[in-house]
Amino acid sequence: MTYFVSVLTREMKRMVSRRLYFGVCIILPLFCVFFMATIFGNGQMENIPIGIVDQDQTGMSREVTRQIGSVPTFRVTAHYTDAEAARKATQAKEIYGYLVIPYQFEANATAGREAVLSYYYHYALLSVGGEVRSAFETTLRTLSMAPVVAQATAAGVGVDQVTTFLLPVKSSSHPLFNPDLDYSVYLSQPFFYIFFQVIILLVTVYAVGSEIKFKTGDEWITSAGGNMVIAMLGKLLPYTVIFSIMSVFANYVLFGVMHIPFSCGFWPLNLVAILFVIATQAMAVFIFSLFPAISIIISIVSMVGSLGATLSGVTFPVASMYAPVYYTSFLFPVRHFVEICQNLLYGDYGFAYAWQSIALLFVYILLALLMLPHLKHAVLSHKYENIE
Amino acid sequence: MKKYLADIAEIIYDEFRVISTSYSILLVLIGGIFVYGLLYNYMYAPDVVRNAPVAVVDHSHSELSRQFTRYLNVTPQVEVLTNAVDYTEAQDLMKRDQVVGIVYIPDDFEDRVSRGGQSVFIMYETTSAFLYYMSMQEASAAAMLALDEDYRPNMMVFLPEQAASQLAMAQPITVVGTALYNHTEGYGSYLIPAVLIIIVFQTLMMLIGMISGRERHTGSIARFASQGLSFGRMARVVAAKTFVYVMLYAIFCCFLLGLIPLLFGMPAIGNPFEIVMLLIPFLLATSFLGLAASLFFTDSEAPLLMIAFFSVGLVFLSGVSYPLELMPWYWRVAHYILPVSPATLGYVQLSSMGASLSQISVEYITLWIQCLVYFVLACFTYKYTTGKVKHSHGIR
Repeated sequence: MTYFVSVLTREMKRMVSRRLYFGVCIILPLFCVFFMATIFGNGQMENIPIGIVDQDQTGMSREVTRQIGSVPTFRVTAHYTDAEAARKATQAKEIYGYLVIPYQFEANATAGREAVLSYYYHYALLSVGGEVRSAFETTLRTLSMAPVVAQATAAGVGVDQVTTFLLPVKSSSHPLFNPDLDYSVYLSQPFFYIFFQVIILLVTVYAVGSEIKFKTGDEWITSAGGNMVIAMLGKLLPYTVIFSIMSVFANYVLFGVMHIPFSCGFWPLNLVAILFVIATQAMAVFIFSLFPAISIIISIVSMVGSLGATLSGVTFPVASMYAPVYYTSFLFPVRHFVEICQNLLYGDYGFAYAWQSIALLFVYILLALLMLPHLKHAVLSHKYENIE
Repeated sequence: MKKYLADIAEIIYDEFRVISTSYSILLVLIGGIFVYGLLYNYMYAPDVVRNAPVAVVDHSHSELSRQFTRYLNVTPQVEVLTNAVDYTEAQDLMKRDQVVGIVYIPDDFEDRVSRGGQSVFIMYETTSAFLYYMSMQEASAAAMLALDEDYRPNMMVFLPEQAASQLAMAQPITVVGTALYNHTEGYGSYLIPAVLIIIVFQTLMMLIGMISGRERHTGSIARFASQGLSFGRMARVVAAKTFVYVMLYAIFCCFLLGLIPLLFGMPAIGNPFEIVMLLIPFLLATSFLGLAASLFFTDSEAPLLMIAFFSVGLVFLSGVSYPLELMPWYWRVAHYILPVSPATLGYVQLSSMGASLSQISVEYITLWIQCLVYFVLACFTYKYTTGKVKHSHGIR
């Protein structure tokens, strides 16, 4: 116990001796919370600038323009005389999509000839383009029935009856958990932890590795009485505490201040976050122990950390990736963490559906413990001190 | 003049030697540029979500519901995992991540249509990945339209006789949607171009961080003080270092932005000359920024702690994934501070969208302004840090 306290106090002295630790343990996580909480604005894709090319200039084309203008997703910022100009504006990213109402549109529509409405959306910027497309699609699909409805009304058939005729089968769609498809609900929580795990990985490797780099390893292990487990626990505990507090604070901001919905209680989320912090630290210790040369491992860890963003499966589903990538994703704590969180947030499905992920997070701790004897040997051998 | 050039040449030689004799720097360059460049493309190579599993809860057990299930199953986006479950079982499958959505077909599905009414099927989609949601939307819309086409003639009998012939004459307006600048409509072809520029930025920042951090830590930075600490001398140091970085990255960019898009069939319809014109201020501004930021780099590992964590954030900040117009003003300002964001956006516009330089003038001019500002800052940083290290060594 006295050894533990001496390692702990030694580590805390190290932490306050350099401003770097304050920066990476406090400032950077707070910055990440602030960034993910604010970057999406109000989270809704609204008022996206689009353009309209009205070559018809008739009552009907103006009606279409008005209808498009009233869709909350859109803000009609420009009217162009030809499609070429609108396309140029799209390239310059002034607008994210445009609608072309061709010459003779009204004449064709009323005369029963084929009338075409073409819309174009920006798919090099896929997430915005997707919103633009679905907004165009819903508005214009309804509009497209207008000539038929007009004929039907003339023949004395009610609007209800004609929609039934046109669409005998209809869909009703319910996106679960995030009914208004809010981007902050979707991304803020996972992406904060994706940033955070990179910080945890790097800080852990740095905290352990700097002992070797600055040749203080002997002193470190001596102060722990030669017990590597005590040395490691004492060293990492202050960081675990700080990062856990940061996670709880982040959860408070995300779920308390930003009102992201969650189905479980507040504390299960925090407990999982703390487990995630520990598992990530353990993974850092494991990777570092494989080859304890800080300059090499820290760059590897920074790359491993950034992969977490892809392999967490939040953006592009991992199950749709190639099999090797899919199976690799299970090696990353952040993937299990995201799975547990989705379970908790989306419906609190219960432990029965999350126990594998939770158990796997504990496995990282085991892996790290297994590597400790090797690390102790490496520290005392002084072999890795001058590898750059 | 000749003396200055010789001075620059000497620093260039030094810098190349530092880079080529350090394992960790070589690792960042090889791992960051080549492995990462290939790996990211490999990971996103499937590009689109295909055959996302869904469960159909069929309470109707009718001809119509089976026809609908078949139509749903043949769409490329989704695959019907099972239609032999009740709703609770389907929910359970969803909780186990075995399906990404549930289609519920109520028991009056066929009856309603046969009576001349409107049938409704209900979809529950997970929002754990928006791409799954989009796949289900597209698939169900396609299946619904196909089914409606089939059954519309049967619905004629429910309309008055004259109306039927009149309605048959009327044509709905044809709506055609076209995706611009992404021929596969895929996620990879949207994200990868942005990621490539961010890889360039992040690895270059790490490289500069590791070199300048080591200079500070070992005190070798003091060698730049050998000819005094004049602004001109510092400008030569900054210019020489930047020369090395830009030369190296000219080659890396050929690989990342020239070869990789060819290998993986990325959209690359840009004019190569204009892309090079964009990369010049981008690489210069990034080098100058790195050297200016070396004020905070006190050893060769600490910079990575400050740089690496934000790689993913840069995708957001560049405005590629979420529109700049919808961000709060301070992030729109931040977009113009780091060279990577305007460069990413500019590159996507040039390369994926075939824009010309004049259409990205704002980004382009921003990059050149950054070059100027960061060059001056870099000179001052080197003057300050060199002086500081020399001073502390002098005292020793």
